[in-house]
Amino acid sequence: MSRPTPTHSRKKMALGSLVLASLLGLGCEPPTVVPTADGRQNTRNARIEGSLVVQSRARGNAVVFLYDADRPPPPQGTGRPISFTVIPAEQLFGPALGTDAPGPFTAPFTFSLVPAGRYLLRGFIDADTCGGAAAQPCHRPDFIPWYGVTSEPNAGDVGGAAVDPTTGVPLTLEVTADADGQPQPLTGVSVSFSDSARVPLDRPAFQVQGDPTMGSAMKVLRLQRLAIQDGAVDQRPPGFLVSYVDANRDGTPDDANADGMPDFSLRVVVRKLAEGLHSVEENDLNRDGVPDATGVDYMHADGTQDGNPDVVVLAAGLVPDPLIAALTDEQGQPRMQPVVVQELQLAVRPLALDARNPAAPAPLREMPRGRYAVVLIQSTGQTWRVPNELDPAVAPGVGLPSVESQAFVLEVP
Amino acid sequence: MKTPRFLKRASLLALCLCAGEALADARLEARRHFRAGMSLIAQKQYDQGIAELEAAYAIKPHPNVLYNIARAYHDAGRLQEALDAYKRYLASNPPDAATVVTTVAVLEEKLKAAESATAAAAPEDTSALPMPPPPASIQAQQQLGVLLERLEKAIERAESMPVASAPTVAVPVSTPAARPEGPEVSGADEGAVPYEERVVTASRRAQSSLEAPNATTVITAEDIRLSGATSLPELLRRVPGADVMSLGVGSANVSLRGFNQRIANKVLVLVDGRTEYQDFLGLTLWSTIPIGLEEIERIEVIRGPGSALYGANAMLGVINIITQAPGSGPRARFSATAGTGNSAAGSFVSHGSSGALRYRASAAYSQADKWSRDFANGRPDMELKEPDPDLGLRGARATLSTVYTFAEGRQVGLSGGVHRYTTEIYPLGTLRNYFMDGVTAYAKGDAELGPLKLKTFWNHISGDAGPQYEPIGQRTLVRSVSSNLFNAELLFARAFQLGGEHQLNVGVEGRLKRVAWDYLGPLRQEVHAAAFVQDEWRLVEPLRLVASYRVDRHPLLDNGQPGLAHSPRVSALFIPFEGQAFRASAASAFREPTFLESYTRIPVPVPGVNGASALTTGSTSLRAERLTAFELGWRGESAELGLDWDVALYQNTVRDLIGLSAVQRLPAGESYDEASGSYLLGRSFFQNEDAVYTARGAEAGLSMAPVDGLGVKVSAAFQSVTSDREEKAECGPCSQAPQLKLYGGVTYRTKADLEFGLDAAFTSSSTWIEREPAAADPTRIELLSNPLKAHTVINARVGYKAVPDTVDVALVGSHLGGAHSQHPFGNRIERRVYATLTVTP
Repeated sequence: MSRPTPTHSRKKMALGSLVLASLLGLGCEPPTVVPTADGRQNTRNARIEGSLVVQSRARGNAVVFLYDADRPPPPQGTGRPISFTVIPAEQLFGPALGTDAPGPFTAPFTFSLVPAGRYLLRGFIDADTCGGAAAQPCHRPDFIPWYGVTSEPNAGDVGGAAVDPTTGVPLTLEVTADADGQPQPLTGVSVSFSDSARVPLDRPAFQVQGDPTMGSAMKVLRLQRLAIQDGAVDQRPPGFLVSYVDANRDGTPDDANADGMPDFSLRVVVRKLAEGLHSVEENDLNRDGVPDATGVDYMHADGTQDGNPDVVVLAAGLVPDPLIAALTDEQGQPRMQPVVVQELQLAVRPLALDARNPAAPAPLREMPRGRYAVVLIQSTGQTWRVPNELDPAVAPGVGLPSVESQAFVLEVP
Repeated sequence: MKTPRFLKRASLLALCLCAGEALADARLEARRHFRAGMSLIAQKQYDQGIAELEAAYAIKPHPNVLYNIARAYHDAGRLQEALDAYKRYLASNPPDAATVVTTVAVLEEKLKAAESATAAAAPEDTSALPMPPPPASIQAQQQLGVLLERLEKAIERAESMPVASAPTVAVPVSTPAARPEGPEVSGADEGAVPYEERVVTASRRAQSSLEAPNATTVITAEDIRLSGATSLPELLRRVPGADVMSLGVGSANVSLRGFNQRIANKVLVLVDGRTEYQDFLGLTLWSTIPIGLEEIERIEVIRGPGSALYGANAMLGVINIITQAPGSGPRARFSATAGTGNSAAGSFVSHGSSGALRYRASAAYSQADKWSRDFANGRPDMELKEPDPDLGLRGARATLSTVYTFAEGRQVGLSGGVHRYTTEIYPLGTLRNYFMDGVTAYAKGDAELGPLKLKTFWNHISGDAGPQYEPIGQRTLVRSVSSNLFNAELLFARAFQLGGEHQLNVGVEGRLKRVAWDYLGPLRQEVHAAAFVQDEWRLVEPLRLVASYRVDRHPLLDNGQPGLAHSPRVSALFIPFEGQAFRASAASAFREPTFLESYTRIPVPVPGVNGASALTTGSTSLRAERLTAFELGWRGESAELGLDWDVALYQNTVRDLIGLSAVQRLPAGESYDEASGSYLLGRSFFQNEDAVYTARGAEAGLSMAPVDGLGVKVSAAFQSVTSDREEKAECGPCSQAPQLKLYGGVTYRTKADLEFGLDAAFTSSSTWIEREPAAADPTRIELLSNPLKAHTVINARVGYKAVPDTVDVALVGSHLGGAHSQHPFGNRIERRVYATLTVTP
């Protein structure tokens, strides 16, 4: 092959350079945003962030829960938290961690990946109350979110909530979306904790005495105070905290359902459990406190089915007489201050209801067969239920102590 | 008369497509010319035969071709041309130089005598009538007969060697004085047999790929250049059975014969015998390798288990990247590339020598944007953690490689390199798109003392690594990592006779690994040791047996205590005809637990639940993953047609795969993790799976150079993976392995210095079973099936030698088949176009 002439070479070089240069100006566009199959890339979320403000001598991690405003936690509702966050005591109290200075102390918090919606924030300081001048019962930090028997505050913990900084009224927070549907972050939220919201008692732990088989007649079960202090569980309630409801603050007991009986602050629910799942409620398999989209739909008393999974409860209530006696003073007047009772009597009628709409439970044609749990809700929002994870069939597998009485279920044969 | 425009264009096209001295697959084309030349010479058509040999030599220089040219001239009685050819041959410093020098001396005497005789007879001749040639003497006829017989034998072998007993040496190295300078040398054929494909990886010594006990694929520097590929994984799509899965421009996972995953950990990648397997995570970070494509001489891919020679992690295969020998290339070569996707690259490579010292030095820079981003800027929920959200890779690197030769077979080599890089990684489990920003470095020393070879190296990688995006307010997982590996290996090779010819290779190896990474807790350190032996026994022709055995001592393999991993391999090679080899092999191999799998303790934040984490832990009592493989293969070639092919049938049985368990609740008392300030919803730990997976497959590859200028490569691989315990819908390795992979590539080079290349790689659909937090309750981790569509990767290149041997330009289009993803969580891969200018002053 003959060697190219210099002129020829220069032309070729120029041609090559031209090809190269023509591309130099291309391709400066940044890469486009293309979500992959990863679910997290296909959601539209924002966040809630703000500060904790703590005025308390208690010391411990602060735990803040995020609730759907339409599903508030006990005692207002039965909602379970959507999310929670932990602000470690070291971060919250800093150098004052080893003191009992009352504060105030502040620390930032964030709830990540929050979709648009209305929310409530509640929390508590999981206090270590076993210091030098420890009150009894004292508690080490014992909150564990994964088990029903360890997921609520105990005596000495300090409650908190997102409140209006000027009025102190609990707030409903709203994460709004812009015109494109993109949720906008909610910032500057304040969650206040104060010693005035110290939890007075441990949770209303109980054991059930009575025949566990439901018949065609009304059944009365006795709920007795239970103390458990073993391993990760430390519940030493002095009894059940009970008072009249006086929502209108008129100094007299309310009777919201106009049944002629005063309303008590203690509530009880007998809820049907899912078949084959230890303590999972029927039609709430994901345990979020909201009826599942699909599930069992029973025949209502009027012969219809509403096409929705039912929240089946048995008609039950506390036998009022012993409570009225406890809440009556020496002059025979209603005692409006809470009292502690050692035992409750639970009356269960042979009637099943669909409580999907709690305000208007619908009777079912018959009691669905199966297992039913008993849930007790105290005015502080603390709850206890049986069966729970202390059932000897479950407890060893999750590192909790076995308590035979906590395996109780009410059977409808 | 004005020529119509279309005629001009047609003429131009015809000119472009008219192949003259062009070549596509140089080795195959040169071999075809060589074979044709030897055949013609045997038929006494010397002129045509010698022309064919010269053509072969022009395509790919090989000294033995010169010898055969000389012999042909000699036989044709053209002593002056023979003498010239012998001298060219001697210039290559051949092993039979002494014999050839004698031949040259004899020829020179004859020529002198002939000149004298011619001078004396000249006056008479001018007036005399032409005389018939004198009859050949009996002696001359006998000599001619011997030569013809020799030539015929040479043709039968399709390979002619000047000295039958020339030793087979590992990558023959000429002395500096004998090694001519210039660009042509880098393309020279260096094997003892002209144009034979040679590999060094299959048996840790140079051998014909026909004699390799494994299925092998070789990607040459020429293949690399003509492909226009910008990354190593892209090149590997042409390997039958290779799973190449690009998740980002700088992040790819490569496996062989299935079992690919987001961290592909079952193929050992070497650069000149130095591992590039990153033990801290168990993967090859392709874009952090400090070697550029322009420095590679060839890539050898051993498809099948390689633990018998290479130990851990050579489970499904070995990819050995062999760089250009120092001093074997041009004194300077500059290359610049620019293209879409903000792609830019530049490199400089220099070869040289000073006395017995030869060197290769390089420096390069490259960058490219991601094909696509996962998240936009300014989101109210996610924050950026990586240095640049658009950047897929960026790196600046430099290497230096030197060799000092004391004498034949005695040399010392020192090399090192450093690479400052930013790249992407796609880790396991619920972790997603990571960035890694840091430095890799290596230093390597080689000493060759006759049959002994000592190899030592140090590998280093460090940097920051973590998720590219994290939810605002979530605890970050960005951490620093630093890994150092020190390795020493001593090899001994010897040939001997005992009931046949034996080729014995023995080696011992020691390795120290140190990893500092917050994910693992304190500094972790492991000491490994190994010994291996291989014997290739030529029992009786045409049967050869290859037996290999390696034992590796691992500090944890015996339930957390030091234990041994045994890797035997037995192969039988049957070579009934020249150029046709049938092989059968049985082997076992293993993958050792990585540092991550052994030691990790990571509380992984639960998305959207700031107070919760899912703990991922390692286990120091893991067993190694085990592979038992059986393979039947046929490798053949047809020099006349310019064909090479390889067919393989295999069955791989994989046991003890290491994977993450389902999330299991922790004892209540262990729920709070003070270090992370979060509650652990459970623990997922690395464990050996009970299931046994069986992969069966067939692979076929064919390379053709039927006419000058045209090169064709096609391959197909079919595979099926089953499990003894899992249904296909639940079996990740079963559904994730594409059943069918096809590759086709064509290169065409014209007389007018234009080069065209087009290749397409088809991968059938698959389903990826991946972990993901449940949408309704992120504290529940679900296994979700993610279907992945079939896709075809199409790349094309047009090159032009603007100034022969000096200036090349090329236009490359990659992923021309359209946008697609190669993993459900990977980038959406888009078309890109690059232009490259290469100057060799």
